[in-house]
Amino acid sequence: MNILLLALLAQQTVAPTVEPVGVPRGNTIGDYNVRQSFETGYRFANVDGNRGKYRSDVNFLNGVRVLGTSLTVNSRNGKGKYFDEIILNTQGLGNDPYQFASMRVEKNRRYRYELTWRLNDYFNPGLTIAFGQHFQNLERRMQDHQFTLFPGKKIQFFGGFSGNNQSGPALSTVNLFDTRGNIFPFFENVRRKQNEFRFGGQAQFAGMKLFWQRGWEFFKEDTRGFLDQPGTPLDPLVTNTTLANFRRDHPYHGSTPHWRVNLFTEAAKWFTVNARFTHSNGNRNFIFDEVANGAVRGGARNVQTLVFGDARRPVTAANLSFSILPTSRITISNHTAFHQTKMEGDSTIRQLTNGTLDSTVANFQFLGIRAVTNSTLLDVALKPWLSVQGGYQFSDRRIRSTELLNDAGFIDQARGEQSNRLNAGTAGFRLRPIKGLTIVADGEIGRQNRPFYTTSEKDYHAFGARAEYKQKYFRVAAQTRNSVNFNSVSLFRHSSRARNYTVDGSWTPSTRFAVDAGYQKLHLDTVTGIAYFLNFNQVDRDSSFFLSNVHAAHAGVRTVVAKKLDVYAGFSSNRDTAGSGAGFTTQPALLAAQVFPLTFVSPQVRLSYRINEKLRGNFGYQHYDYTEKILQLQNYRAHTGFLSVLWTF
Amino acid sequence: MTSRNRLLLPYNRPNRVFLLKRLIQFLLVCLLANAQSPKSSPPPPGYAGSIMCRGCHPDISAAFFRNAHFKSTTDEKLKFEQKGCESCHGPGKAHIEAKGDKTKIIAFSQMQPKKILDNCLQCHTQQMGRANIRRSSHTTADVVCTNCHSIHKSATPKQLLAKPQTDLCYGCHQNIRAQFSMPVKHRVNEGFMQCSDCHNPHGAEAPTWKMSARPRMMAQGLQNEEPCMKCHVDKRGPFVFEHAAVRVDGCASCHVAHGGMNARLLKRPQVFTLCLECHNGAGNFGRQGDGIQLTPPTHSLTDPKYQNCIVCHARIHGSNSHASFLR
Repeated sequence: MNILLLALLAQQTVAPTVEPVGVPRGNTIGDYNVRQSFETGYRFANVDGNRGKYRSDVNFLNGVRVLGTSLTVNSRNGKGKYFDEIILNTQGLGNDPYQFASMRVEKNRRYRYELTWRLNDYFNPGLTIAFGQHFQNLERRMQDHQFTLFPGKKIQFFGGFSGNNQSGPALSTVNLFDTRGNIFPFFENVRRKQNEFRFGGQAQFAGMKLFWQRGWEFFKEDTRGFLDQPGTPLDPLVTNTTLANFRRDHPYHGSTPHWRVNLFTEAAKWFTVNARFTHSNGNRNFIFDEVANGAVRGGARNVQTLVFGDARRPVTAANLSFSILPTSRITISNHTAFHQTKMEGDSTIRQLTNGTLDSTVANFQFLGIRAVTNSTLLDVALKPWLSVQGGYQFSDRRIRSTELLNDAGFIDQARGEQSNRLNAGTAGFRLRPIKGLTIVADGEIGRQNRPFYTTSEKDYHAFGARAEYKQKYFRVAAQTRNSVNFNSVSLFRHSSRARNYTVDGSWTPSTRFAVDAGYQKLHLDTVTGIAYFLNFNQVDRDSSFFLSNVHAAHAGVRTVVAKKLDVYAGFSSNRDTAGSGAGFTTQPALLAAQVFPLTFVSPQVRLSYRINEKLRGNFGYQHYDYTEKILQLQNYRAHTGFLSVLWTF
Repeated sequence: MTSRNRLLLPYNRPNRVFLLKRLIQFLLVCLLANAQSPKSSPPPPGYAGSIMCRGCHPDISAAFFRNAHFKSTTDEKLKFEQKGCESCHGPGKAHIEAKGDKTKIIAFSQMQPKKILDNCLQCHTQQMGRANIRRSSHTTADVVCTNCHSIHKSATPKQLLAKPQTDLCYGCHQNIRAQFSMPVKHRVNEGFMQCSDCHNPHGAEAPTWKMSARPRMMAQGLQNEEPCMKCHVDKRGPFVFEHAAVRVDGCASCHVAHGGMNARLLKRPQVFTLCLECHNGAGNFGRQGDGIQLTPPTHSLTDPKYQNCIVCHARIHGSNSHASFLR
């Protein structure tokens, strides 16, 4: 166990402490065994530089926290009166930006209750987005409850509830009063709420399992946008438009009832079958009410926009999988999937300018996607140390759209349909030439006709390989994954190349010492033909080029000093060295967007001192250094850490 | 009103209270039936019973009451061979008589991956999440149950994982590990979420976005869409004006999922290049191959405000009130 724990060296945030406290075997209370720990302390952060960017990336701040708790209660004989197991874990309670709690209560063969609760304090200044005017300081709370009853060995019922609330202040922008006007930021009070209720069951009969679920998702958004004072235009050079005040209400409510049915068998000796059907029917109603008062080119202007309507999205999916196992060495799997999404919506837009109704526009929109796919996979174990696999996939997709517009009797309609097909093949092998060494390689090649988007996969191939050598206390692995896509047609080109190379290893010679290190190189370059306007002149045949070369490294060492002090030191570094993209374009705006070199480094150290069997004192420090190479406006350096006690009682 | 009459209410709609009572009665009957006196069965040939294992494996048996498999030892409805150690390791009598010979028992450390899978799936097919395990990418790469789960030395009380989930996944997916260490990322290292929130490591149905080929192991959302919508519920819609890319090729058209160097997990450092790469009017693409709509002539690329597309197109994921996502 200690060896395992010592090998846990993935660079997490510095707190909570991972070292255990208390008696490993726990305490016996009546018929139950109890293990618990509780860590509380003070977290601190000191930020130099762009605090908004720090809060977007890291967001740990000062204050007292319950950094982590853990509780497990197990009945020793498996026959507890009310429960046999309770597991409760929490993290970051008290005001950390990432708070988490999970609980499970179970009585064997009777019931099980599971809870997950999370809170995310999301701060994002969006500095490189919309001139920093899409700032968000939101809090998202999510919870999920599931209660399962086991009335019999072959039957179970469950009911569940999920909630997802998001609220807080934000900024958004609006373009007023026409295309020659200006852009004004305004405040938003974001309020979004989703609840989902579900129930269902599972039954076993005739060697088959039947699962069914009925559920309802309810969503409502009552975000309000407003500006009670004269607006500050984003473009100071455009002086023809002023905004005195602004208000926007756009309630958006609806539900998504859904069904899921699954029938499958796994127990048969030579085949398995899995049939699945799902249907959901999303529906949303909305009203949009916006009032803007200001002036355009010297004349007073007030505009009220009223939109109402509803949108529907029924989604049906069906899947059938079966695997044939003719011998113990051969597996043939086939999967057929059908999927249909139909999105349609109506909206009526009325606009009043200076108190006069000047337009009423009715819209109808439809977007339908239907896809059918079939894939077959053959897996053969030629030898105990050598397996090969190969597969083929065929997909057919049809996309239809209708756009209907009625503008005061003038009707404009556009319909479209495009279908495309994919043929893809896969192949791979697994090799274990000597004990401890595993070599795995796989590749895929695909050809798609008429992809919908210019950046979609068309003529692509992917290749990956991984070699790992592992002994009891030592492990080293190397991996590569490459993906290349060409989506070029006459007068247009798009290509992307992603190449990843990684190497890592760990060594745990004793319970008192462990070391872990790795290096990753992530390369991506894409070239895409683009067209745009420069002062009303269309420019064709230019290119958008993007190049990223990320060199990432991590290292960590953990040791135990004098059986009392656990010391961990770790380091994580990400450096995008970018590169040169000269030659693809001469347009300054495009040249500036070709690369984004930066460095993000985060070393940390953690000390955990075992005061006695039930108490530990902990200290941790983590440094963050974010440095952009071009503009450097978002750079920051942060010193974060914590001081805590971890105890069991 | 009699029960019969209650069922004859207008439109033959059953009374909800009546149905609820019947449901509770049914569940109670099921519970009581399950709680009846136990039946004992004699040990079949070759089986020794879990109690015999304690002598040589005291470390495992002493803490086994914390193990999820412990419940099998106390379930009197199960057959002898379905209980305790021998339910997974098979008959142990020969193993004991041979003084611990591993070849005389089902020893997972000595088994081929496919055999391990077969063995665990004898019981572990209750959850629908494992319905696609035979064709999952993990299975085809010989990553089977014991690669991630440690039955007797688990580091997590739930799911009996050999290590915390992120460490397990990072063990093979080092390139993903690097992405989660980047400045803009989903909060996996911070403990707020974990890989299985979006992925099903046991295999999944074909994705309903892109061309149903890749990615392969996604835990799909409520409407069979990308798992992103499980949390980002406001982006799900439906909207009158859908940004078709979200549904046709998915969120990955514009975003990277794990982590990146660019704001809001965008694939490009500046938004306008991302938009222009599709909105370039190139033939053969889009609706009826007539190209994805080009930006209008008023949008001169030399003007900074047109290099920040979403400053005006603020509802880029979908809108109910403007076809160009302006509001």
